[in-house]
Amino acid sequence: MKANILKDAHNKKLENAIFISVILFIYKIIFPINETIFYLAINELLILVAVFAWVNYVSEFINPKLRKPIALIINTGILNALVFFIISISSWLFAEAENSITNSNVIYVLFSTIIVFVFIGALAYIFSVYKNLCFHRQKKDPSLYFNIMVIFFLLTSLASSFLNPNPTFNDFNVSLSSKNDFIYNALYVVTIVLIFSNSLRVAWIAFLNKKQKLALLAIAIVLTALSWINFSTLSSEDFQLIKNFSPALEELLSLVMIYGGIYFTVIFFTTLFHLPTAEAIDRKSQELTSVTDLSKLMNQVFDFEELSESITDTTIKVSNSDAAWIVIIDNEKFNLHSIVGLGIIDANIISEFLIKNNLLSKSEVNVTDLTMFDSKFKLPKSIKSIVSAPLSVHNKTKGFLFAARKTSRIFEEDDSKPVGTFAGFAAVALENAKLLEESIEKERLEKELDLAREVQYKILPQMNPNYDKLEISSLFVPAFEVGGDYYDFFRIDDKKLGVVIADVSGKGIEAAFIMAEVKGIFASLSRLYQHPKDLLIMANSILENSISKKSFVTAIYGIIDTENDTFNFARAGHSPLIYYDGKAIKRIVPRGMGLGLDYSIKFENTLKEMEIKLNNNDILVLFTDGINESLNEKSEEYGYERLEEIIKSNTNLGVESLSNKIMKSVSTFSMNNSQHDDITLVLFKWNSHKNSNGEE
Amino acid sequence: MAEFNVGRHGVGEVSVLSVAGFLDAHTAPELENAFNGLINDKQYKVVVNFTDLQYISSAGLGVFMAYVETMRENSGDIKFCGLKEDVFNIFDLLGFPLLYEFYKTENEAIEKYNQG
Repeated sequence: MKANILKDAHNKKLENAIFISVILFIYKIIFPINETIFYLAINELLILVAVFAWVNYVSEFINPKLRKPIALIINTGILNALVFFIISISSWLFAEAENSITNSNVIYVLFSTIIVFVFIGALAYIFSVYKNLCFHRQKKDPSLYFNIMVIFFLLTSLASSFLNPNPTFNDFNVSLSSKNDFIYNALYVVTIVLIFSNSLRVAWIAFLNKKQKLALLAIAIVLTALSWINFSTLSSEDFQLIKNFSPALEELLSLVMIYGGIYFTVIFFTTLFHLPTAEAIDRKSQELTSVTDLSKLMNQVFDFEELSESITDTTIKVSNSDAAWIVIIDNEKFNLHSIVGLGIIDANIISEFLIKNNLLSKSEVNVTDLTMFDSKFKLPKSIKSIVSAPLSVHNKTKGFLFAARKTSRIFEEDDSKPVGTFAGFAAVALENAKLLEESIEKERLEKELDLAREVQYKILPQMNPNYDKLEISSLFVPAFEVGGDYYDFFRIDDKKLGVVIADVSGKGIEAAFIMAEVKGIFASLSRLYQHPKDLLIMANSILENSISKKSFVTAIYGIIDTENDTFNFARAGHSPLIYYDGKAIKRIVPRGMGLGLDYSIKFENTLKEMEIKLNNNDILVLFTDGINESLNEKSEEYGYERLEEIIKSNTNLGVESLSNKIMKSVSTFSMNNSQHDDITLVLFKWNSHKNSNGEE
Repeated sequence: MAEFNVGRHGVGEVSVLSVAGFLDAHTAPELENAFNGLINDKQYKVVVNFTDLQYISSAGLGVFMAYVETMRENSGDIKFCGLKEDVFNIFDLLGFPLLYEFYKTENEAIEKYNQG
């Protein structure tokens, strides 16, 4: 859309320029000679409007090409050369003809008109380039001075046309006097002054790189010469072609040639003076570009290796060094990354030598002259001097960025400073990579956590079994991280129920898998063993081959016999069993080591089996340490006493209500603290009146 | 959660690891590192001083089980001392006192090694 509008405006300007040129052409065919001042006036007006229209068109066409000013200037040079060529050819061709053939000769008119059009085109292009260069990279708008100059260009041109002695109409010349000469000369001088002042606008030179400046220097010499030569041949008496056609155009051309001559002289000297600083400016701008490029890269790439390669590459370029590499120090081990320009062995020797001998600053850029050190250190001879900059993350030095030179040219501050900047980049890249890795690790852990929890839920019983005389409640509250709690019921027969509560050491996925294994062991052994002690001994010996040395399992396994009203059980390192016998609360801790602690006869010898005789309203409480180790805000444990107190004051309640009471008490206690371990609570209440249909 | 620290010093042939703070699944690797260091240095006679330990979880207990065998195979041991009552209760409930020696003070534990 926008492009179309622009294009339309552009085409319109072209149309205007062509239109006025055609009119000029037709006019010139009809009135080849400016016989009177009236014809001359129309002629000059058409010429100037044509020049204006072409400048207007070309100027816009040039503007986007300003990014390559050298190319534009070369084009100008070619056009200048063309002007020179045409002038030379036509002066030679018409030197004789002009005097012998009348000006009204049709061929002559046609030919000169074509040449004039070429000149108008060249003039428009050259002038447009000058104008655009003058406006290029200026801080203040120079249009006022430039426009004044243009006005004086026109005035001087018109003055030369109407006030100068003109051989064509002698009658008019009679009135000419030295007064007119004076006006013309005054205008001319002012124009020259304005040309000078506008020629000083050469700010764009500063933005060229050294190579471009050198090129510009050569081109400026050629163009200065061409402009002055063109000027002198234009104004020489030998060349009358344009003057005959239009004195104003001739004057305008020669003014533009003067402008070019002066402008390129100024450009030449400015460039010459800029040349010594060109390299420094080049490097600064390269540094800036590299920094911008790297910043962009940092937002797109998170892989440290990839980034560090770009960093060492740019370090070499900006600091004028021959080699660069990054050393990351991790637990006193050196890891070399992205070595450029040097073998890994040499880089390693140098890094180790410098770091181990504390020759590097941990806070700033450091230059070391390697040739100072004794040959006994066996440092690579190729490297003469070295810059190091620390990679600091949160005020900790994580490594160094090195840049090395193979020539004996020592690093100046200008060369070494950027290394610090790039070390900063490397530090950020390192930190980013670490953060990314951590977040991936975190995600992995979360997935693992979900999986562990899923395993745990599948392992735990879906519902409580139904037995005569027995009320059962079971509750499991998972911690954020799976804690390894496990409980289960095994229907041995209609009268006997096997029950296990266990806690696997450790957390997470490992605990969950051991739990699954423990379930398998208990589920199968419960069918084989009538005595809890025998079952636990067997379970222990099975675990010997399947769990790691640092893992263990605490458990209580018991068999409730509803026919004989007994609870027969053994404890393998697990939390106590709490028993309410209708009168008092008892904490029962029969001897027994945890499963997986010891596989010798010691386990068997120390394991005691106990039998409790159950009466109506007796309560058995099995739990895991998630309850008694719950912490309050003062980091005090909930402990056994509080648990026993709650049970004691609620013995009249049903198992579900009692379970709720206990959990409420625990959660009130640890209200401001997160639950850090699974909680399992299994309650049994003896109810002589209950039958298996759940009726009393 | 909370901080954990393990310090190490030598008394003659015996190495003492002083543990402080909270020893759980998250801090256990630090203690494992300390034990690995002892094995690297061929120090098998170990006393673990619990004076400043606030809490130990099952994962913390597991660390001792993982290393005791190596120590004993090299005519060393892991002995415990300075346990607070509630910390000792956790060891006791599990049956650790049947497998490990517990002492009130560090000196007693070291003395035990020196007696032979």
